[in-house]
Parts: sequence; C-alpha cells; structure tokens
Amino acid sequence: MSSALKDALEDLLRSRRLQSDDPPLRGEDRRGRALATGIAPLDDLLSGGFPRGQVSEVHGAASSGRTALVLTLVARLTRAGSLVAWVDPADRLDPPSAAAAGVDLPRLLWLRGEGRGRGERTLLPAISAVGTLLGSGLFEAVVLDLAGVPPAARQRLPGTTWIRLQRLIEDQPTALLLVADGHVAHGPGGATLAMKAAAPRWSGAPPARLLRGVGAEVREARRSLRGAAVELQACS
Amino acid sequence: MFGALFAPAPPPDGALLALAHEFTPRAQSLGPGEALLDLHGLGRVWSGPRELAGALLAAAHARGWSDLCVALASTRVAALVAARGRGGLTVVEPGQEAATLAPLPLDLLDLDEDRRDLFRRWGVHTLGELAALPARGLSERLGALGPRLRRLARGEDEAPLVPTRAAETFECALELEWPVDGLEPLSFLLSRVLEPLCAHLKDRGRRAASVELDLGLVDGRRHRRALRPAAPSAEPRTWRTLILLDLESHPPSDAVQALTVRAEPTPARTVQFSLLDPAQPSPERLAETMARLVEWTGAGRAGAAALVDTHRSGAFVMETFAPGPAGGARTRTSGDGASVTGPPGPRLALRAFRPPLPAQVSLRDGVPVFVSASGVRGEVVDRAGPWRASGDWWDVAWSREEWDVALAAGGLYRIFLDRLREGWFVEGELD
Repeated sequence: MSSALKDALEDLLRSRRLQSDDPPLRGEDRRGRALATGIAPLDDLLSGGFPRGQVSEVHGAASSGRTALVLTLVARLTRAGSLVAWVDPADRLDPPSAAAAGVDLPRLLWLRGEGRGRGERTLLPAISAVGTLLGSGLFEAVVLDLAGVPPAARQRLPGTTWIRLQRLIEDQPTALLLVADGHVAHGPGGATLAMKAAAPRWSGAPPARLLRGVGAEVREARRSLRGAAVELQACS
Repeated sequence: MFGALFAPAPPPDGALLALAHEFTPRAQSLGPGEALLDLHGLGRVWSGPRELAGALLAAAHARGWSDLCVALASTRVAALVAARGRGGLTVVEPGQEAATLAPLPLDLLDLDEDRRDLFRRWGVHTLGELAALPARGLSERLGALGPRLRRLARGEDEAPLVPTRAAETFECALELEWPVDGLEPLSFLLSRVLEPLCAHLKDRGRRAASVELDLGLVDGRRHRRALRPAAPSAEPRTWRTLILLDLESHPPSDAVQALTVRAEPTPARTVQFSLLDPAQPSPERLAETMARLVEWTGAGRAGAAALVDTHRSGAFVMETFAPGPAGGARTRTSGDGASVTGPPGPRLALRAFRPPLPAQVSLRDGVPVFVSASGVRGEVVDRAGPWRASGDWWDVAWSREEWDVALAAGGLYRIFLDRLREGWFVEGELD
C-alpha cells in the first residue's frame, strides 16, 4: 500500500472519531505517540503522557498514590490490547488491586523478586530483566518498581545502569517507568512526577467508618512548577 | 484404473499400505486389512491390468501373504467389493462393473444390522438385486441412503480417493569429523541442522510444537534436552536461540561428536489480522524473550497473575504468560467508535508485604491506636474497621479482622488481626 493511501486511510479512520489514543495502526511509527494516563490534568502536565523511548519516573512517599497512578496507565494500555511488563524486585504488586484498577491481567507480565529483605539481592537480576524486556520491543511500557527498595541497594548498582537502559530504550517504542520513594533517574526527554499525599478522606462514624480515598498532589519536577491534584478512590 | 487389496487375515499395522506404496504413492488405507490404490499412469511399466495385478499378487506372496485378494477395476467401489467377494485375482473390464458385482452377496457392503435385516425381509440378497431396484422407491423408503447403496451395488464411485500419507518423521542429524567444544561453534552446526528441518516443516504446512536435541558426546554418553515453548514455530533462528539459551543453563559435560534434532510437528497456526487492533506479539519473539528470562520463569516468578474464586485477601495464582487476542477487556459499541469502556479512575492500590509483617498493635476501647512493625511505626490518627472475614474451614482455615489505618507519620496501611493465630500483621501499604 502506498504511504499516501495509507495516510488517507488513517485520516479516514480517525475522522470517524476513533480516539487519538487508540492502538496504533500496523506498521505505524509509535515513538511520537506519548502514553496518556487518561487522567486529564496529569496528561496536561505531561504534555500528552509519558514519552516513549525515555526513562521516566514517578516518585513519592508512602501512600502518595504512585502505584495507583501507574496502574491507571497500565490498565489503559492493557485494555487497549497492548502488553506491559511489571518488574517487581520487592514483590509488592497486589493482583486484586491491579484488577480493580482495570488492568487486563493476562496482558501484564509480572516478574516477582524474592520479597521482603531480599529485594536488594534481586535488584541486579531485575535490571538485567528490564534490559531483556526493553530489547524485545514487545511491550508498550515496562515498569520497574523500586519503591521500598533501600537506597543503599540502589546505590550499589553500577553507575552506568540508567544510562545503559536509556541507550537501550531510545530507539524502541517503549516507555520505561521507575516507581520509587525518591528521585532515581530519568532520560533526557523523560518525565519526572513527584507525588505528595494529601489528607485521606473518610466517611461515616465508627463502627461503619469507611476510607473513601486520598488526594494526591502531582508535580512535574523537571519542566514546570505547575502541579495537578488527583483524587484516588479507595477500593470498595 | 484402481486396485484393491483385501487380506482376510490382516497383516501387521501399516504393512499392507507399505506394499501399496511400492506401486503407487496414491494409496488409501481402509483399515488393517484393506487398501485402495490409484494405478493410473502405470501402463508404461506393465503392459496390461492382468500383469499389474499379477505383480501385486507376486509381491504379496513374496511377503508370505498367500491369501491376499487383489482386484482391479475402473472404479474404486467395484475393485474393493470384488476383492472382498471374489478372492484371488480379479480384473473387472471397463463397463462390466455392475455385471461383475451382481452375483455377490449384499453383506459385502458395509451395512448395519438393521439394514441387512430389512433387505433380507425384502428378499434382496445380492448386489445385483439391489442394483435392480428403482432409485425413487429406495429413496422414499430409506431416504438418501437408498440411492447411495444402489450406486455402490452398481459399482459407482461416490467419494474421491484420499491418499494416506506414511507417518513422516521430522529429524535431522549431523555426524562431526572433529568434536566441537563450546556453544559458539555449536550454534553454526545447529543452523545447518535446523534450516533444512524447518524448511521441511514449512513444506508440509507444519510447525514444531517441541524440539528434542540429542547430542552424542565424545565420552560416548548422550546429552538430551527437550524444549517446548509457548507457541509452535518453524523459524530456525528462533529454535537456535532457544536451544542455545537452554544449553547455556544445561551445558553438555563433554565435547560434542554428533547432534540430532527431532521436531514434533503440529499444524501451522492461522492468524486473522485486524485493521484497528494493535499488532499481536510474534509468538516466536515472545518465546525467545521468555526463554531469556529463564532465571525468573524457571523459579515460577514470572508470568501473568490470575485471580481465584475466593474471598481470601490477595489470593491469586501465577500462570504462563500467553496473552490471547486483544479485545478481551474492552467493549466498543459499533458505529461511531465513540463509546469505549475505559478503565475506572485511579484507585488506591495495595502494596502487599509477602508474607505480612508481624506487628505490635496497641488498642484502646478495642480500636488500634499504635502500630509497630518492621519499617512501619506510628500513632494511628484515623482508622476504619474492623471488617471481619473468614473461610476455608474445610482446608486451611483463616479468620481475620481488617483495619485501614492512617499513621501520624504519614502512610495508609491495612492491618489485620489473625483470629486463629491471635496475632496482628501489616498486610500492606495503600498507595
């Protein structure tokens, strides 16, 4: 099919209100299409979404909503038919929570570390696995969950680790997302989202009191001083 | 011209078909004691049908099958029925099929007991008597079966011959003049073996569901490995990578003197591509990637999580990562494409501690006021609970009271009292 004809066909398909974040067409260069989270203020903050071919990070303290935010992105991608990998050296992902967030679990490859206290021992194999996953080109996004991994374990990684991963990913239509307690690394065009928890919302009086959710303040730490507020609902 | 072989005492399985394949590749096995042969085009080798039939009979006698019946006719049904009913050697002249079959008993057709009894009550005992019955009357009484039986009795074919293929093996071997040590030289040799093997598979419209590698070592021992990836493949590059990755983790104990690769064939997959859905990952590439993650997959720590039907908190099982076709989780209304069921909004997710952290919890009036565990410590400033749950009393029972607590130092955690162990635990952080 000639490129002009293909372009015309794509325009025609999109003019029928196919959403711009719908799966890319076969053979389309996806690198220019950012991975939108579907949370409007956040996508606005990220200028469309997490960039492909870049190392991006989401960091914040405990209960700041890092996992919820990344799971929202993963849910959006897997429900659109894409594959996502979640590398979890500390073995912290909770599949029922992921399913409640809308993740299509059969399309999420989960690599589990050996759990608490042994996360730092599996950090190096986890980095190696991320390299394999990025090199395969099969996944729209690869998530490396470093939250809860002691900073000392991260500091023992070779100094070139993140540069090597950035070099590996820059020609791929994949986004690498780091989830961490604090700043770790980002690519030259990658996004850094700093998250801060607001007060949780409760409803009712004891004993029928319920956790309704928590607000989170998100700031793109590199490009702008603007922030966005995101509401995270508690699972029923 | 067609031929039929009928052995009253069936020879070993496949032997009759092997005899037929000596004369023609187009032979159909009808069971252990019967075979049909397509003998068209053999006129240059044998001057006439009788000589050809004689050669068939001679080949059977050479195998010690003296009772084999051979019949040649211009239709397959006539040849088969004549072989069953006349014995020895029969050659039915063209146009004489019905006349030749006429005196033969009706039992030679494959009739069930009810039909045989029906024809006996009608006074029909021979094929000739059945062939003489009017087709319309048979159709009225027996439906579609009546005219079909009449055609068979007249020696008329109704289905084409379907040649039976001999069992095909997909195997390639290489004997080396000099032994090789190490994976790099072996990778070139594997390519030499795998390329013709995969070409053979593709020629037959097959893929290899599994591959067995048999290495003959210098010390006389064998090193055997079997690989079964998630998806069948006939790509030599994929198989070479999978074999080399496997040999990296299970290397042979000595230099390799000979190698044999056997493939288990399976029909090629058919993929229906969609214009709008994302391209699905190539199974070969996925298999390669999973093989490279053998450190994780081998320990059962990589795959796709699947929820189980229970109220037990955090229950799931790990399954092989084999994503199916896209579109399982989303629903789209037809037409304008505007209505797409998206995921729910952002939700707090549990970051589980595995196993749960043992905790010291101080209570006041039955509610938690202070939590202390490894890495989690602080005054409880707000809480919701308790939520009681229990189950599996018939197996490994569990019973717990769950609380969601907010600590003064920050952080929302789910803690629970295990009522059977009488201890508090932190299940995870709500993030």
